[in-house]
Amino acid sequence: MGAWLDESLTWGNALIFFLWGVILLTIVLGFVTYAIYFERKVIGWMQLRIGPNRVGPLGLLQTVADIFKLLIKEDTIPRKADRVLFILAPALAYVPAFAVLAVIPYTQDLYFADINVGLLYYVALSGISTIAIVIGGWASNNKYALLGGMRSAAQMISYEVPLVISVVGVVMMTGSLNLRLIGEHQGNWFWEWNFLPQIIGFVVFIIAAVSELNRTPFDLPEAESELVAGYHVEYSGFRFAFFMLTEYVYVYAIAALTTVLFLGGWHPPAPFLDFVPGIVWFLLKFSCIVFFLFWLRATMPRIRVDQLMGFGWKVLLPLAILNVFITALYLELFIKG
Amino acid sequence: MFNIEWTGEYIAFIVFSAVIISGAVFMINFTKVVHMVVSLAAVFIGIAGMFVLLNAEFLAFVQVLVYAGAVSILMIFGIMMTKHKESETESKRGLHSLLVGIGAVALFGILFYAIRQTEFPQEQPLQAVEDNTLEIGKLLFTGYVVPFEIISVLLTVAFIGSIVLAKKEANE
Repeated sequence: MGAWLDESLTWGNALIFFLWGVILLTIVLGFVTYAIYFERKVIGWMQLRIGPNRVGPLGLLQTVADIFKLLIKEDTIPRKADRVLFILAPALAYVPAFAVLAVIPYTQDLYFADINVGLLYYVALSGISTIAIVIGGWASNNKYALLGGMRSAAQMISYEVPLVISVVGVVMMTGSLNLRLIGEHQGNWFWEWNFLPQIIGFVVFIIAAVSELNRTPFDLPEAESELVAGYHVEYSGFRFAFFMLTEYVYVYAIAALTTVLFLGGWHPPAPFLDFVPGIVWFLLKFSCIVFFLFWLRATMPRIRVDQLMGFGWKVLLPLAILNVFITALYLELFIKG
Repeated sequence: MFNIEWTGEYIAFIVFSAVIISGAVFMINFTKVVHMVVSLAAVFIGIAGMFVLLNAEFLAFVQVLVYAGAVSILMIFGIMMTKHKESETESKRGLHSLLVGIGAVALFGILFYAIRQTEFPQEQPLQAVEDNTLEIGKLLFTGYVVPFEIISVLLTVAFIGSIVLAKKEANE
């Protein structure tokens, strides 16, 4: 579908773009609905509970019911809140979250936009969501919300740096920022995927990505038990739903990005498994990463604020830079040689 | 005078211009500092859009990453950390604003006239390269490596300097 982008903009093409947008939105909403269901189920099993099982068969409609509840809830805006920014923040958070999905390639031929700075596009737009979170926290005029917003700004800026530098190694190996080319560059054996040659980068990327997602063990901006709920404490109804939706869309985006960057995208783990379509491999790897995030949430305690900053700047950043140096040396000595 | 072809590019140009200009006007007119920063971020994003229209994707997304992302957040962060007047009120000066208005209109008139009068030389068909990010990288590390390194040193100096200044204040 990338070929359509090169054609001139007619009403017909605009309609096609619009329809593809709607399809992607539907897929993402479906993913979010069942990701929340599986998250609750998986964490329930890990904690020897049953998890949601009342609404619908096996509790499958639980999230649908929850979303419906959120939509019909009274929409409250605190009287002393900054009205315009309070209303703007959830939308501003969601738009970049959905926009970053445009550059993710699912297989060789199934992708939306094929731009040569795809990776940079992803990183740049996901930074905009941070502004929305800070603004939401500030506009609520509530000290817990403000604290959550501040923590979020500090954390997301600090971890964006190692996140970006950790993928530089992958970019150097491929010689392109284009996500489709990065996927294509990896081979059909699992040791030809980027996660083994780039093992330092991979580990740093995963840790920084979990932190960017504000998920446990880095969920300090929300920290239910100490900040009530963080930046969205004053939000209710569908505005709150928008913030939640943003978080889960980023889970989707990060899982897809990790798959493309480090886990070989649509490539099978061994050449003789080639008969299985690429999209199946993509979805398998994607699901594994999503499961890994849920698993982490059920396992890890939250880390302290001072540990968080020290870890980001003193451990992850030097490691990421070291990875760039090692990759450069390796490429210079053995590949170009 | 206005024989314009309504292409997607042109519509995008109009939209981004509207974003930039209205963002700039709001930035000056708002009284709350946080509102100003948000409209400033809108201007940055509009400018990034312009870069995309000019086929400079790399520059565009670096603009979003650095200005719209990092700089705006640091500004908001700074505003929140420092307790200062949330909004400022200006005293109205009638004659002053009238004179400023006349000056602005005159400046616009001169610029508009000059632009309409200028004969632009027939533009050279630019060699469109396949991957302009790659070309920027090559140029930076071959032809422009010395300026690049000097800028890096300059930034490091500024960075260390700000740490020294902050440390000094913290010790007192």
